[in-house]
This record gives sequence, C-alpha cells and structure tokens, in this order.
Amino acid sequence: MVTLPHDDIYQLVREPIDMAAQIRLVRAPEDGAIVTFDGFVRNQSHNRATLYLDYEAYESMALAKMQEIGIQIHEKYRIHRVAMVHRLGRLEIGETSVFIAVSAPHRAAAFDACRFAIDTLKRTVPIWKKEYFEDGAVWADGELPPVPAATPRAKPAS
Amino acid sequence: MIRVTVLFFGRLKDVAGHGEDSAEFSDAATIEQLFALYAARYPELAKYRSSVVASRNQEFAAWDTPLRSGDEVAFLPPVSGG
Repeated sequence: MVTLPHDDIYQLVREPIDMAAQIRLVRAPEDGAIVTFDGFVRNQSHNRATLYLDYEAYESMALAKMQEIGIQIHEKYRIHRVAMVHRLGRLEIGETSVFIAVSAPHRAAAFDACRFAIDTLKRTVPIWKKEYFEDGAVWADGELPPVPAATPRAKPAS
Repeated sequence: MIRVTVLFFGRLKDVAGHGEDSAEFSDAATIEQLFALYAARYPELAKYRSSVVASRNQEFAAWDTPLRSGDEVAFLPPVSGG
C-alpha cells in the first residue's frame, strides 16, 4: 500500500487560504516546476448574480477522499509534493474555495497531476455548496460520485 | 439489535430537518432499507433516491450493503465542491 509523503498537505479550513504559503511548502530544490489550481467564487451562476456561497462537508470522509486522490496522483505521475486545501463556511465573491499545488521535477507530470486532482475532487469528495442570490438560495448542481457495484451475493442465511 | 448512526448532508439535511440521527433494526438490514425507513418518515426524501449515494464508515457503498452495529451511514447528494 502506498502511503502519503508526510510533507504533503491535505486540509479543510475555515479561514482564507494562504496560497503563497502552500506553494512554498511544496517547493523543493530537486523540483523544477509547480502547477497550481486556484478555484474561487464566481459572481454569477446560470446568469443569476451570486451574493456569496456557503460550503459544507462530511469532514472526516472528505479529508480521507482528498488523501486518496493524493495517493492516486503519486502512483500515476512523477510528482514530488502535493498541497490540497478546501475552504468551508461562507465565502464571498472572488475568495478561493479550493487550492491545489503540485511540485515535480518536470512540468508535464505536475500539469497532469493537478488536473487529475481537481477533476477527481469535484467528482468524489463529499463537499457541497449552497448558492445565495438576491431572491433565495439553492444547493448547487453537483456530480454523483461513482459507487461500487452491488456487493457480491452473500450466502443465504440458514 | 443493529444500531447505526445516520448522517444527512446538503439538501437531504434540509429535507430530513436534521443532520444526524440513529436507527435500530431488530433483524438484518441493508442501506436501502435504512433509506426506506427515512423515506417513509419524510416522504419528500423518496424523491431524491435516484440522486443520492450512500457511504458506510466513510466509504461509498452499494445500496445492498448489509448494516453492522456501530456503522456510520451517510446519505450524500451530488457533490459540488471546488
């Protein structure tokens, strides 16, 4: 079983994400590239002006799923360190909700791993956002995570 | 007796009116039966059955997964992080 390097970072936070600090933490002399993803709150959704967003998570599972993504990208790509931070609670327009930084000796692996990480996070990590508008609030449309097929039929109870 | 903790998130929490509950079964039961129990209590919940996934002890789980005492089962609407 692959374990995560201890210098990786996987966090759920309730305060603003310090992106520069995350980048410093994944940067090392043996690397030649860092690719980052900064996801932030857009001022509209389906042509309605957004006031703010409120994020909630199934925190223990979300963190476990984020770490699983870390394990996957370390297996798939030649990368060095990963920082993956998601913010929860109320976020204003323009504030960063998710930040991912991946360092690697060479850029291609860092680009690929960062792309895979954000795409997989959006599909599998149990976090939800509620969008607040002038005239109400809605839970954002999301993606249904893939679930294992039905469990193998157990022996009938005797 | 099987006793499990049940969690609802996102719009499911709004529908159920609370985020955490516990349920008991005297006989073997599956996640599907657990959901049915709450759908009977909160009929609005039944409408979401096709757009819900379940987890058991923080792993996504099939609907026919048997429950064990002490399990933490969560019902999760489509995720929208990022």
